[in-house]
Amino acid sequence: MNESTREHPLLELDNLRVDFHTPTGIVQAVRGLSFTLGRERLGIVGESGSGKSMTGRAILDLIPHPGEVKADRLTYRGQDLLTMDKRARRKLRGRHISMVMQDPKFSLNPVRTVGDQIAEAYRVHHKASAREAKQRSLAMLEQVQIREPARVYELYPHEVSGGMGQRVMIAMMLIAEPDILIADEPTSALDVTVQLQILKILDDLVTQRGMGLIFISHDLHLVQSFCDRVIVMYGGKAMETMPAAELADESARARRHPYTLGLLGCLPDLDHPRETLATLNRDPAWLA
Amino acid sequence: MTMAGMNPQPTILVEKLNVSFGDSHVVKDLSFTVSPGESYGIVGESGSGKSTVLRVLSGLNPDWSGTVAIDRQVQPKRRDKAFYRAVQMVFQDPYGSLHPKKTVDDALAEPLAIHGIGDAEKRIGRAMSEVGLPASFRFRYPHQLSGGQRQRVAIARALVLEPSILLLDEPTSALDVSIQAEVLNLLQALRQERKLTYILVSHDLAVVAHMCQRLLVMQFGRGVEEMTAQTLAARNPQTAYAQQLLTASEGFRRA
Repeated sequence: MNESTREHPLLELDNLRVDFHTPTGIVQAVRGLSFTLGRERLGIVGESGSGKSMTGRAILDLIPHPGEVKADRLTYRGQDLLTMDKRARRKLRGRHISMVMQDPKFSLNPVRTVGDQIAEAYRVHHKASAREAKQRSLAMLEQVQIREPARVYELYPHEVSGGMGQRVMIAMMLIAEPDILIADEPTSALDVTVQLQILKILDDLVTQRGMGLIFISHDLHLVQSFCDRVIVMYGGKAMETMPAAELADESARARRHPYTLGLLGCLPDLDHPRETLATLNRDPAWLA
Repeated sequence: MTMAGMNPQPTILVEKLNVSFGDSHVVKDLSFTVSPGESYGIVGESGSGKSTVLRVLSGLNPDWSGTVAIDRQVQPKRRDKAFYRAVQMVFQDPYGSLHPKKTVDDALAEPLAIHGIGDAEKRIGRAMSEVGLPASFRFRYPHQLSGGQRQRVAIARALVLEPSILLLDEPTSALDVSIQAEVLNLLQALRQERKLTYILVSHDLAVVAHMCQRLLVMQFGRGVEEMTAQTLAARNPQTAYAQQLLTASEGFRRA
């Protein structure tokens, strides 16, 4: 795309490391990850513990104590995030770079209505009256395909279904109109049909608003069908980066990393029924 | 393979099952049968009533009407002890279904104590080795185990009573794909070795097609369509809803 060549890429990461200093030693959650993000759908896949969520959190400066983020380069549109002070970083967070978490049950405030929480997200970043914020929130709820926004606005998180809760979270993150959205397993708690509706919303945002999307997932099929590029992570390292379409491409198998092939191999497949599923043999050399 | 209705001696028979919670009617006139040694899948979206069916079968939900027969014995609302020995359930969330302050040994010893079965020492050891847990894990707490290991403990706990029927409620949906493959392989092997009958509830059509011979698609509490795994693999369901579910499971498509 022209835009991204004219200006800086949305996000540049070089040699990102996330370390946790614990009494029993240093746990390296992310070990030397590099990528750039343009106005695209970038998938990060991996199993639990591969560091994919920590990567998202590191970008937002949300790594909990005692975690430590280091990188040779971490920039948002050319601005250095590593040397930026906490206040400036906080301004960026939510307004320009935002994150949708996996589970709406644990990420929404249980004692406030969902509408209130969306309106709050708007007023934190924009000077607006309560009334205007409410109008905006209602419009946003409609944009994420909620049928009766006025009714849903007044509901508490326990009164909405999982799919609706996830849409509320997305509405809350998008109301500030961020450039980058990090979606951490945004649909894994949802039914397949609802999942596709949510993906459609995210997809439209990328294509229409030119947002950059980092889509963190463990679902290879989904990433392959939804994203432009995919990073496969294992043990805090990128095993490989490839165009998403190549994940399913049989002719590209020879080029694939053994870990990627292993992951693909242990999925049950409607078209290739097998008596027993392949299991994954992990090679310590992958992390060397 | 015999299809439902033509099955003379089903291991599990459900007829005109209805379940309501207050005003919401969550299972409506559901009927199906499962043959001895068969693995039967129930798929559907959340709220379709699939887990409720398992809870009724396992005796966890006492409020229902219709007929439930296990091994040709019509089951009352309150089951007897022998029932719980023959029918065991494995739950979705291995983090939630094990007591955090009980060791693996405690979890496996309790069902044996309840049923007054002696020889606990040997049975626990055997159950653990069957699910591939090293003996050194016996006195560990759930937090000292990974998700896949916890689900193995949950399966061992179900197996320790040597049941003939296992009810599996999304047994792998909380696990990584590589661990899922291990647990599914384990369940397949156990079914063959012990001639177990399974009902597997899942939202993942590929998992159901891999594990089951026949499956039932549920929507809004009703059985929409029963089909064989071959029909599913051939992408040949008859109803629009089953077709839609299948298409949705194939991933995202740009219009």
